[in-house]
Amino acid sequence: MSNELSLKDQLRLNDQKFAETGCVFGLETLPEKERDPGTYESVWHTLLGICNAAWSVGCKVSSSPVAVEGGDALWALHTPTGECICTSRGITAHVGLLASMVRHFIELDYETLPGFKPGDIFENNDPHFGGIHCPDFDTAMPLFYEDKLVAWVSAVTHANDAGSVLPGSISFMNPDCFSDGVPVTMEKIGENDKLYPWYEMRMKSRTRTPEWVMGDTRGRLAGCLTVRDRLQETIAKYGLDFFLKASREYIEDSRRYAVSRIKTQTVPGRIRKSQFKDLAMKGGNVVMPKQDVDILMNLPMEMTIDENAAVSFSLAGASGTVPFGENITPTALASGLLMGYSHVVGFDMFNSGATYAMKLQEPPGGTWCNPFPVDYFAACGLGWAPTVMWLTSLYEVTGRLYHMRGFVEEMSAGAATTMAAEWSGENQYGNYTVGLTLEQASNGSPARGIGDGEPAAWCIFTANADFGNAEITELYYPIMYLGRNMQPDSGGYGKFRGGMGHTTIWMVKNTDGGINYTAACSGIRSKITGNHGMYGAYPTMPDRISYAHNTNIKALIDDQKPLIHERGDPEYGDLEQNIKAEILEANVVVPVVVEHTLQDYDIVINPISGSQAMGDPVERDPEMVRQDLDTGLTRNWVAEGINGVIAHKDNNNEWTVDDAATSDRRQAILDARKARGVPFKEWWLQESKKVLAKEDMHEAVTDMWRSSMSLSPHYAAELRSFWNLPDDFEF
Amino acid sequence: MADYDIYELEEIRKLVDGELPWTTVQQMMKNAKDTDRFDKWITILQERVPWDEYILLPLTPALYIVQKDSDRIVKCRCGHEFGDYRVNWKLSALIYVRDDQEKLSEVYKGLEQPDLKWMQLREYYCPGCGSQLEVEALPRGAPPDFEFLPDLDTFYGKWLQRPLPQTVEFKDMTAEVIRSWCS
Repeated sequence: MSNELSLKDQLRLNDQKFAETGCVFGLETLPEKERDPGTYESVWHTLLGICNAAWSVGCKVSSSPVAVEGGDALWALHTPTGECICTSRGITAHVGLLASMVRHFIELDYETLPGFKPGDIFENNDPHFGGIHCPDFDTAMPLFYEDKLVAWVSAVTHANDAGSVLPGSISFMNPDCFSDGVPVTMEKIGENDKLYPWYEMRMKSRTRTPEWVMGDTRGRLAGCLTVRDRLQETIAKYGLDFFLKASREYIEDSRRYAVSRIKTQTVPGRIRKSQFKDLAMKGGNVVMPKQDVDILMNLPMEMTIDENAAVSFSLAGASGTVPFGENITPTALASGLLMGYSHVVGFDMFNSGATYAMKLQEPPGGTWCNPFPVDYFAACGLGWAPTVMWLTSLYEVTGRLYHMRGFVEEMSAGAATTMAAEWSGENQYGNYTVGLTLEQASNGSPARGIGDGEPAAWCIFTANADFGNAEITELYYPIMYLGRNMQPDSGGYGKFRGGMGHTTIWMVKNTDGGINYTAACSGIRSKITGNHGMYGAYPTMPDRISYAHNTNIKALIDDQKPLIHERGDPEYGDLEQNIKAEILEANVVVPVVVEHTLQDYDIVINPISGSQAMGDPVERDPEMVRQDLDTGLTRNWVAEGINGVIAHKDNNNEWTVDDAATSDRRQAILDARKARGVPFKEWWLQESKKVLAKEDMHEAVTDMWRSSMSLSPHYAAELRSFWNLPDDFEF
Repeated sequence: MADYDIYELEEIRKLVDGELPWTTVQQMMKNAKDTDRFDKWITILQERVPWDEYILLPLTPALYIVQKDSDRIVKCRCGHEFGDYRVNWKLSALIYVRDDQEKLSEVYKGLEQPDLKWMQLREYYCPGCGSQLEVEALPRGAPPDFEFLPDLDTFYGKWLQRPLPQTVEFKDMTAEVIRSWCS
């Protein structure tokens, strides 16, 4: 490293060395690791501990329930040129964004103006300049040791409101970028460890709960100062020269791990997985006329692994931008991909290293994943929504690859969907409130190669899967939990099922002015199932909510009659069975802004999805089916009709499997499949005619194909070829 | 053999069959991986199929790419053959599409049902044994996913350092089969 180089020149040199050697910083060897592996490893864990200490401090200093109760935050340490060295626990989806933000400061020559000084505070949340969406405020401070800039610390927290067109932070309803909320565009927001007063004034004038927003800003700052203080001690102990060298080696080490994992645990070739996501908004509550539309989004993944174990991702075929918040920039998408990669490929030392082990091909301009070249006004209110649905394919395709090499302990099926519950209105203290509960941060986890997924214990966008305490959430919002239950069969049907999602039943309580509920889209599928199956499993059920307005609950409580504590029968649920209401909507397609302002004793049923299952359901161990029957995680019609398990409930309410009847039932299912299945060619001959005629194709479907095919000509040619459509055919 | 090639074949068999305690599996996940896992895996799988062709690559729990004479074909564990591995095997499977309410209600009920105007539920079965090999949830117009086209010659020749006797072109042949259906 040259002391004479500016950071900008150092960046160029880093890029040049990587291009020449294929190693980050040109590190063809790891001298510090080789010289003293014990110290190298010890300092790595010290740095991790520093970042995690920042997470603990920062979350506690913060104000919003998102940070304080949910821990939806992250702190990271970076090299002087921005590459991430290590991170705290928390929302790891942001690591790439934070690294690219620091790099961007340098590329924009901020080193000259405004300059980098001790105590400076910089921030960005603007998607046009590297942010993901406005509620995620990315903050960074340069760190100095004896007057030399030796590192950066960064932080992100998810504000409960950033001033978008509708209250809340899951801003799927934003029609364009002008409704995305208050931008902080690559700004210096403070110096000498203090925030500029105009920053606070702006938050006060343009966000709905500025006390929480500013509390979280101070939380980020507190975490950053924690890192700064402890890093000083670490450098003093181990020496600056060692820190600077080792911190680079950690990144190259991580790259090597990711490459090695691909080469030793996967197979070269081409992997494809389709994904789709619906936005059924026609006729619903929307902000602008252009949003009165039904949309199906195409989220295809093609992954290629070459002979050098270089991995490349393509989104050819992605559909166009949407007039909602579900657009994302390639920079933010790459950050999401790095997070997904850290989960399933390169997780030994999580930092920027894996970024150098893979390539995201730039998606076609004008797609939901690269909107600005064509639609500069596109909203990015919740770009994570399609992204996490796209990333579910990463889990599945790497799971398939690990299976091929025999690493069954590493296999994973696809992820769950993500629906957020947002509340805005008058709280129990008579104040205006807006915010999330953290229900969506605890999905069921995907099925594994050797067993079921874990129930309500996992979330794709944060390793910190924590839905918080119900009792604490009740302090933030005027709601009372009547139930928080595992949702039966919400992990799909398969040899191994995904972990169960959970369903929450809320009763509105103690709001004089009323409160609004939104089932917000941070990755919902409602018209279609979540994912496909994997290896013959059935997909998870779509996301739907229920609610009741102006209910008879108070009378039921007074009379000590049954209320509602779970969803119940999908055809005639507990809400319909037990509750009378002026408005009772049992099967509501989401996302949705519920049109009624809810009052005391109104009810909301808010389900959170399980993850994908794996394997033919008739191969599920009957004993596992029996256990699920006993614990209420599956229903008898599923056990019998889909798993082919015949079981009976005894007088003690316990289930017993009839082995002989189960064997007969399973053989009957196999025989029935062979009897009803038709040769693919026979089906194709009929189906291709229907495709040509656009028969029974919803407008959202034909719109999607038209968009995908116009933006990706090669994808269009392949699709036409498959269905034997004319060369000039368009949907 | 490296120091971390610590697992006997029997341990891997137990792992595959879900017979190891979770704490042991967790440790296996944390440890460096055994470099000969693929060979153990093929040995275990080869013992379990009722046919003799050599397994080149397990595609799914039910389907394998095998060497059959000079061809590389996809074969079900039951013995049913699907043809050249470079053609999406789904073209040789049985398919059943749940595209009406009655068919859908066997799998999803009430508010758990997707909307069939937006998607089809396609089930692919093995013609030999009736195993449900994959289930796809797709809008009309979507070709079936060709999940994996492996570059077998690179894999065996450059990654495993034991080239296969003959090489074949790394090429998706699915379109050629479709074209043959149109003529």
